[in-house]
Amino acid sequence: MRVEYINPFVEASVSVIREVLDVEVKREQISLKSKAMPVLEIAVIIGLVGQVEGRVLFDMSRQTALKIVSKMNNEEIKEFDELAKATITELGNLITGRAVTKLSEMGYKFDVTPPAIFSGDNMEISDTEIEALIVPIETPIGRIEINVALREK
Amino acid sequence: MSDVKKAIGEKEDGSFYKVLIIDDSVFVVKQLTQILQSEKFEIIGSAQDGEEGVQKYKELYPNVDIVTLDITMPKMDGITTLEKIMEFDKNAKVIMISALGKEDLVKKALISGAKNYIVKPLDREKVLSRIEGVLKK
Repeated sequence: MRVEYINPFVEASVSVIREVLDVEVKREQISLKSKAMPVLEIAVIIGLVGQVEGRVLFDMSRQTALKIVSKMNNEEIKEFDELAKATITELGNLITGRAVTKLSEMGYKFDVTPPAIFSGDNMEISDTEIEALIVPIETPIGRIEINVALREK
Repeated sequence: MSDVKKAIGEKEDGSFYKVLIIDDSVFVVKQLTQILQSEKFEIIGSAQDGEEGVQKYKELYPNVDIVTLDITMPKMDGITTLEKIMEFDKNAKVIMISALGKEDLVKKALISGAKNYIVKPLDREKVLSRIEGVLKK
Protein backbone atom coordinates (compact mmCIF):
# COMPACT_ATOMS: atom_id res chain seq x y z
CA MET A 1 0.00 0.00 0.00
CA ARG A 2 1.36 3.37 -0.91
CA VAL A 3 2.07 5.67 1.97
CA GLU A 4 0.71 8.68 0.10
CA TYR A 5 -2.88 7.46 0.71
CA ILE A 6 -2.23 6.87 4.37
CA ASN A 7 -0.58 10.12 5.28
CA PRO A 8 -3.56 12.38 4.56
CA PHE A 9 -5.68 10.27 6.95
CA VAL A 10 -3.07 10.23 9.65
CA GLU A 11 -2.36 13.95 9.36
CA ALA A 12 -6.07 14.79 9.25
CA SER A 13 -6.71 12.63 12.32
CA VAL A 14 -3.93 14.22 14.29
CA SER A 15 -4.90 17.78 13.37
CA VAL A 16 -8.66 17.30 13.86
CA ILE A 17 -8.23 15.55 17.21
CA ARG A 18 -5.82 18.22 18.38
CA GLU A 19 -8.11 21.02 17.24
CA VAL A 20 -11.51 19.68 18.26
CA LEU A 21 -10.51 18.00 21.52
CA ASP A 22 -7.79 20.45 22.42
CA VAL A 23 -5.39 17.72 23.58
CA GLU A 24 -1.79 16.75 22.95
CA VAL A 25 -1.52 14.02 20.34
CA LYS A 26 1.30 11.54 19.90
CA ARG A 27 1.71 9.30 16.87
CA GLU A 28 3.01 5.86 17.66
CA GLN A 29 4.73 3.14 15.67
CA ILE A 30 2.91 2.11 12.49
CA SER A 31 2.20 -1.58 12.02
CA LEU A 32 1.20 -3.58 8.98
CA LYS A 33 -1.39 -6.36 9.19
CA SER A 34 -2.49 -8.76 6.54
CA LYS A 35 -4.77 -11.03 8.54
CA ALA A 36 -7.68 -10.59 10.92
CA MET A 37 -7.06 -8.05 13.63
CA PRO A 38 -8.92 -7.03 16.76
CA VAL A 39 -11.02 -3.88 16.77
CA LEU A 40 -11.58 -1.82 19.92
CA GLU A 41 -15.11 -1.42 21.29
CA ILE A 42 -16.24 1.57 19.23
CA ALA A 43 -15.33 1.76 15.55
CA VAL A 44 -16.19 4.20 12.79
CA ILE A 45 -15.78 2.90 9.27
CA ILE A 46 -15.69 4.89 6.04
CA GLY A 47 -15.50 3.36 2.58
CA LEU A 48 -13.75 4.81 -0.46
CA VAL A 49 -14.67 3.97 -4.05
CA GLY A 50 -12.97 5.30 -7.16
CA GLN A 51 -9.34 5.69 -8.17
CA VAL A 52 -8.51 4.82 -4.59
CA GLU A 53 -10.62 2.10 -2.99
CA GLY A 54 -10.89 0.36 0.34
CA ARG A 55 -11.79 1.48 3.81
CA VAL A 56 -10.59 3.53 6.75
CA LEU A 57 -11.51 2.57 10.29
CA PHE A 58 -11.05 4.53 13.48
CA ASP A 59 -11.43 2.55 16.66
CA MET A 60 -11.21 3.25 20.35
CA SER A 61 -12.37 1.91 23.70
CA ARG A 62 -15.86 2.80 24.93
CA GLN A 63 -14.27 4.82 27.71
CA THR A 64 -12.21 6.89 25.27
CA ALA A 65 -15.25 7.38 23.02
CA LEU A 66 -17.29 8.69 25.96
CA LYS A 67 -14.51 11.07 26.93
CA ILE A 68 -14.34 12.40 23.36
CA VAL A 69 -18.11 12.77 23.20
CA SER A 70 -18.21 14.56 26.57
CA LYS A 71 -15.49 16.94 25.50
CA MET A 72 -17.12 17.72 22.15
CA ASN A 73 -20.49 18.36 23.82
CA ASN A 74 -19.12 20.30 26.79
CA GLU A 75 -20.96 18.04 29.19
CA GLU A 76 -20.45 14.65 30.76
CA ILE A 77 -22.02 11.89 28.71
CA LYS A 78 -22.10 8.49 30.38
CA GLU A 79 -23.88 6.33 27.88
CA PHE A 80 -23.11 5.61 24.26
CA ASP A 81 -26.50 6.92 23.12
CA GLU A 82 -27.76 8.60 19.94
CA LEU A 83 -26.02 11.88 20.73
CA ALA A 84 -22.77 10.01 21.39
CA LYS A 85 -23.07 8.16 18.07
CA ALA A 86 -23.78 11.40 16.21
CA THR A 87 -20.80 13.05 17.87
CA ILE A 88 -18.36 10.26 16.99
CA THR A 89 -19.78 10.20 13.46
CA GLU A 90 -19.13 13.92 13.23
CA LEU A 91 -15.54 13.40 14.33
CA GLY A 92 -15.23 10.79 11.55
CA ASN A 93 -16.72 13.27 9.06
CA LEU A 94 -14.30 16.00 10.06
CA ILE A 95 -11.27 13.75 9.68
CA THR A 96 -12.48 12.28 6.40
CA GLY A 97 -13.33 15.71 5.00
CA ARG A 98 -9.85 16.95 5.65
CA ALA A 99 -8.14 13.82 4.30
CA VAL A 100 -10.30 13.70 1.20
CA THR A 101 -9.52 17.33 0.41
CA LYS A 102 -5.83 16.52 0.58
CA LEU A 103 -6.18 13.43 -1.62
CA SER A 104 -8.27 15.37 -4.16
CA GLU A 105 -5.59 18.04 -4.29
CA MET A 106 -3.13 15.26 -5.09
CA GLY A 107 -5.31 14.39 -8.08
CA TYR A 108 -7.16 11.27 -6.87
CA LYS A 109 -10.83 11.04 -7.71
CA PHE A 110 -13.14 8.94 -5.55
CA ASP A 111 -16.33 8.95 -3.50
CA VAL A 112 -16.67 8.42 0.21
CA THR A 113 -19.48 6.61 2.04
CA PRO A 114 -21.07 8.24 5.10
CA PRO A 115 -19.42 6.97 8.31
CA ALA A 116 -20.97 3.89 9.95
CA ILE A 117 -20.46 3.05 13.61
CA PHE A 118 -19.93 -0.40 15.08
CA SER A 119 -19.92 -1.09 18.75
CA GLY A 120 -19.36 -4.29 20.64
CA ASP A 121 -16.85 -6.52 22.39
CA ASN A 122 -14.31 -8.84 20.82
CA MET A 123 -14.80 -7.49 17.30
CA GLU A 124 -12.29 -8.16 14.59
CA ILE A 125 -11.86 -7.08 10.99
CA SER A 126 -10.43 -9.08 8.10
CA ASP A 127 -9.34 -7.58 4.82
CA THR A 128 -8.88 -10.43 2.42
CA GLU A 129 -7.49 -8.48 -0.51
CA ILE A 130 -5.85 -5.39 0.90
CA GLU A 131 -3.31 -5.28 3.69
CA ALA A 132 -4.03 -2.81 6.45
CA LEU A 133 -1.84 -0.24 8.13
CA ILE A 134 -2.52 0.72 11.70
CA VAL A 135 -1.45 4.06 13.09
CA PRO A 136 -2.09 4.37 16.83
CA ILE A 137 -2.60 7.84 18.23
CA GLU A 138 -2.05 8.40 21.91
CA THR A 139 -3.90 11.23 23.66
CA PRO A 140 -4.49 12.08 27.35
CA ILE A 141 -8.06 10.80 26.97
CA GLY A 142 -7.01 7.49 25.50
CA ARG A 143 -5.79 5.71 22.43
CA ILE A 144 -7.36 5.96 18.99
CA GLU A 145 -6.27 3.62 16.22
CA ILE A 146 -6.42 4.61 12.59
CA ASN A 147 -6.65 1.49 10.52
CA VAL A 148 -6.32 2.07 6.78
CA ALA A 149 -6.72 -0.50 4.00
CA LEU A 150 -6.64 1.24 0.61
CA ARG A 151 -5.33 0.51 -2.84
CA GLU A 152 -5.23 2.23 -6.18
CA LYS A 153 -7.65 0.83 -8.71
CA MET B 1 -30.16 55.59 27.18
CA SER B 2 -27.61 53.07 28.28
CA ASP B 3 -25.17 51.89 25.67
CA VAL B 4 -25.32 48.19 26.52
CA LYS B 5 -24.36 46.02 23.56
CA LYS B 6 -27.24 43.97 22.28
CA ALA B 7 -26.94 40.21 21.80
CA ILE B 8 -26.36 39.29 18.14
CA GLY B 9 -29.70 37.48 18.12
CA GLU B 10 -31.62 40.54 19.25
CA LYS B 11 -33.36 42.77 16.70
CA GLU B 12 -33.61 46.57 16.86
CA ASP B 13 -37.16 46.31 18.21
CA GLY B 14 -36.09 44.01 21.06
CA SER B 15 -37.48 40.82 19.56
CA PHE B 16 -35.20 37.92 18.60
CA TYR B 17 -34.10 36.46 15.27
CA LYS B 18 -35.76 33.11 14.59
CA VAL B 19 -33.68 30.24 13.27
CA LEU B 20 -34.65 26.98 11.59
CA ILE B 21 -31.92 24.31 11.81
CA ILE B 22 -31.96 21.59 9.15
CA ASP B 23 -29.36 18.91 9.90
CA ASP B 24 -29.41 15.13 10.25
CA SER B 25 -26.82 15.09 13.06
CA VAL B 26 -28.22 15.51 16.56
CA PHE B 27 -24.73 16.57 17.57
CA VAL B 28 -24.60 19.46 15.08
CA VAL B 29 -28.16 20.53 15.97
CA LYS B 30 -27.17 20.63 19.63
CA GLN B 31 -23.96 22.51 18.91
CA LEU B 32 -25.70 25.14 16.77
CA THR B 33 -28.52 25.49 19.30
CA GLN B 34 -26.07 26.11 22.15
CA ILE B 35 -24.07 28.68 20.20
CA LEU B 36 -27.11 30.55 18.89
CA GLN B 37 -29.07 30.52 22.13
CA SER B 38 -26.07 32.01 23.92
CA GLU B 39 -26.61 35.09 21.75
CA LYS B 40 -30.38 35.02 22.28
CA PHE B 41 -31.38 33.63 18.89
CA GLU B 42 -34.65 31.77 19.06
CA ILE B 43 -34.53 28.25 17.62
CA ILE B 44 -37.99 28.10 16.12
CA GLY B 45 -37.62 24.60 14.72
CA SER B 46 -35.31 21.86 13.57
CA ALA B 47 -35.54 19.16 10.92
CA GLN B 48 -33.53 15.98 10.43
CA ASP B 49 -33.70 15.79 6.65
CA GLY B 50 -34.40 17.99 3.65
CA GLU B 51 -38.00 16.94 3.10
CA GLU B 52 -38.90 17.74 6.68
CA GLY B 53 -36.89 20.96 6.41
CA VAL B 54 -38.81 22.29 3.42
CA GLN B 55 -42.09 21.37 5.09
CA LYS B 56 -41.09 23.13 8.33
CA TYR B 57 -40.00 26.24 6.43
CA LYS B 58 -43.38 26.43 4.71
CA GLU B 59 -45.24 25.90 7.99
CA LEU B 60 -43.24 28.53 9.84
CA TYR B 61 -43.14 31.09 7.00
CA PRO B 62 -42.91 34.11 7.29
CA ASN B 63 -41.58 33.65 10.82
CA VAL B 64 -38.12 32.32 9.94
CA ASP B 65 -35.32 34.89 9.78
CA ILE B 66 -32.52 32.50 8.95
CA VAL B 67 -32.05 28.84 8.05
CA THR B 68 -28.92 26.77 8.70
CA LEU B 69 -28.84 23.95 6.18
CA ASP B 70 -26.59 20.89 6.17
CA ILE B 71 -25.25 20.11 2.71
CA THR B 72 -25.27 16.29 3.02
CA MET B 73 -28.42 14.69 4.38
CA PRO B 74 -30.54 11.60 3.77
CA LYS B 75 -33.80 11.65 1.75
CA MET B 76 -33.26 15.12 0.27
CA ASP B 77 -29.79 16.65 0.09
CA GLY B 78 -28.99 20.23 1.07
CA ILE B 79 -28.85 21.59 -2.48
CA THR B 80 -32.30 20.27 -3.43
CA THR B 81 -33.66 21.49 -0.11
CA LEU B 82 -32.19 24.93 -0.75
CA GLU B 83 -33.70 25.06 -4.24
CA LYS B 84 -37.14 24.14 -2.87
CA ILE B 85 -36.94 26.76 -0.13
CA MET B 86 -35.80 29.46 -2.59
CA GLU B 87 -38.56 28.47 -4.99
CA PHE B 88 -41.09 29.00 -2.21
CA ASP B 89 -39.51 32.19 -0.81
CA LYS B 90 -36.95 33.97 -2.98
CA ASN B 91 -35.96 36.16 -0.02
CA ALA B 92 -35.10 33.25 2.28
CA LYS B 93 -31.83 33.67 4.13
CA VAL B 94 -30.13 30.28 4.05
CA ILE B 95 -26.64 29.57 5.30
CA MET B 96 -25.06 26.24 4.35
CA ILE B 97 -23.21 24.03 6.82
CA SER B 98 -20.60 21.93 5.06
CA ALA B 99 -17.82 19.49 5.77
CA LEU B 100 -14.45 20.24 4.22
CA GLY B 101 -14.03 18.79 0.75
CA LYS B 102 -17.45 19.77 -0.59
CA GLU B 103 -16.35 22.90 -2.43
CA ASP B 104 -18.29 22.02 -5.58
CA LEU B 105 -21.52 21.65 -3.63
CA VAL B 106 -20.90 24.88 -1.73
CA LYS B 107 -20.38 26.72 -5.02
CA LYS B 108 -23.59 25.23 -6.37
CA ALA B 109 -25.44 26.32 -3.23
CA LEU B 110 -24.19 29.90 -3.50
CA ILE B 111 -25.32 30.02 -7.13
CA SER B 112 -28.71 28.61 -6.06
CA GLY B 113 -29.23 31.43 -3.57
CA ALA B 114 -27.52 30.49 -0.31
CA LYS B 115 -26.29 33.66 1.39
CA ASN B 116 -23.12 32.20 2.87
CA TYR B 117 -21.64 28.95 4.21
CA ILE B 118 -19.80 27.62 7.24
CA VAL B 119 -17.24 24.83 6.98
CA LYS B 120 -17.10 22.44 9.95
CA PRO B 121 -15.75 22.09 12.62
CA LEU B 122 -18.15 24.68 13.97
CA ASP B 123 -16.95 27.09 16.57
CA ARG B 124 -18.80 29.89 18.29
CA GLU B 125 -16.99 32.76 16.67
CA LYS B 126 -17.21 31.38 13.13
CA VAL B 127 -20.92 30.56 13.40
CA LEU B 128 -21.89 33.90 14.93
CA SER B 129 -19.84 36.06 12.55
CA ARG B 130 -21.22 34.33 9.43
CA ILE B 131 -24.79 34.54 10.66
CA GLU B 132 -24.42 38.14 11.71
CA GLY B 133 -22.96 38.93 8.28
CA VAL B 134 -25.97 37.36 6.53
CA LEU B 135 -28.46 39.19 8.74
CA LYS B 136 -26.83 42.55 8.03
CA LYS B 137 -26.78 42.10 4.25
